[in-house]
Amino acid sequence: MGLFKRLTDWIDFRIGVRRIVAKELTGYLLPANINAWYSMGSILLFIFAMQVMTGCLLLIYYVPDADKAFKSVTVIMNDVPFGWLIRMCHAVGSNMMVLVLLFHMLSVLFMGSYKRPRELNWLSGFILFNLVMATSLTGYLLPWSQLSFWATTVATNSVSSIPVIGQYLVEFLRGGKLVGPPTLGRFYALHVAVIPIAIASLVGAHLFLLKRTGVSTPPFGLKESANQWQGDDYRYEDHPGGIPFFPNYALQDAVSVALYLTFFLTVVFFDPYLFFTRESFIAADPFQTPAHIKPEWYFLANYQTLKIFSNEFIGLSVQGMAMTCLALLPFIDRGRERHPLKRPLFMTAAIGGILLWVGLSIWGHYS
Amino acid sequence: MNEGRRKFLGICLGGAAASAAVAVGYPVYRYLAPLQKEKSAVKVVIPEQEVPVGGAKFFEYAGSTAVLVREHDGDLVALSAVCTHLGCIVQWEKEKQGFICPCHAGLYTAEGAVISGPPPKPLAKLPFVVANGIITVG
Repeated sequence: MGLFKRLTDWIDFRIGVRRIVAKELTGYLLPANINAWYSMGSILLFIFAMQVMTGCLLLIYYVPDADKAFKSVTVIMNDVPFGWLIRMCHAVGSNMMVLVLLFHMLSVLFMGSYKRPRELNWLSGFILFNLVMATSLTGYLLPWSQLSFWATTVATNSVSSIPVIGQYLVEFLRGGKLVGPPTLGRFYALHVAVIPIAIASLVGAHLFLLKRTGVSTPPFGLKESANQWQGDDYRYEDHPGGIPFFPNYALQDAVSVALYLTFFLTVVFFDPYLFFTRESFIAADPFQTPAHIKPEWYFLANYQTLKIFSNEFIGLSVQGMAMTCLALLPFIDRGRERHPLKRPLFMTAAIGGILLWVGLSIWGHYS
Repeated sequence: MNEGRRKFLGICLGGAAASAAVAVGYPVYRYLAPLQKEKSAVKVVIPEQEVPVGGAKFFEYAGSTAVLVREHDGDLVALSAVCTHLGCIVQWEKEKQGFICPCHAGLYTAEGAVISGPPPKPLAKLPFVVANGIITVG
């Protein structure tokens, strides 16, 4: 113990680490009525770190060459000790990241935490959501299975409905007329370098914005749940008399991460192929289109929307409008009230939107 | 009393953290460790005519590099081609009927004995048999 104290003293006398801890951890106060939904961000940080680590490990054996990619994934699964575990953690983790991200967004939506002055937090989070979808889409191609190949063919083809430049955009995305080795090269670069760096940078910006505005107060259990910010000047939302981040809320974060791990490891160990189909285990064959190829569950609603409209451009435009509305939500919903039960119009629209998304996804799955 | 409980919980937490570290660390270590091949399966077969008199044939053996030499008197020698100094691969010099390590100029005889230079010991000899014109190393 004496050695530990001497070591911390040595560091503290040089860089004042205890003052940082006092200001940013033990002295960083959060709202007294904070709830577990606020730990979704910590779970997402944990998942992102896991994805980076398992991704780096997969890079050791994965070969980004159309002739060797599927074989290299087979070697990881069958020959490398614990290769199956690393790959399953990465594949299941990517799905979990989207799922937890959706929960994070829903909690922000229902608690009105996107409202001013937090428009930039919402926007950066919305872009992060799109980047996570993009990294999932690009990673999907890398095993070079039938599912990878044809799901990417369908996904990239939808861009062709954009008037005038659509066809060129598709070829630009694919690096050729059809999905092939050039597509693998560019999706690989996007998946392992460009998008993760963009995500890490934007996570930094997201946390910076959170630190500058302060954590929002949950609208529950308060007499006055309306937004008090006047918009006349910068104001940090502090919480005098609140609970310290460390150890109190850090413990809640740890509990949430542990609960997440329980769910995640249950899938990894007891149902690892939950997100796989038969086509995931067959090498890509550009001359053999499998029947009923479907995208990942989180793209099923988009897939079904494109099928509903006879004109693909209209289908894309509808999705584009929905996403634009979601991105600009803090500028559209300018009411001060944050309690969900005191926002009937918002609640109707939000629940309707969620039901529509779930309905389209189920329809897409069984269509 | 409280101190005792705090210490007990601290030990439990430390134990849980150590178990978690092992549960994560062991698979990662095994994943990163070089893949082990069964030693009994390491046998290399080379036709005799591929090793001419006064010549050498380099080949991969047990994950490393080895060499077969046929001396002027017809004798065959199988050696590890890894220099015993710093692990570079030795090169056969036909005119001198010996090996040189290009990294630090270590010289060996055709049988692998050190003539000069920094190598601390001879090149390792490998077992082999010749039958029906086929050399089997290992």
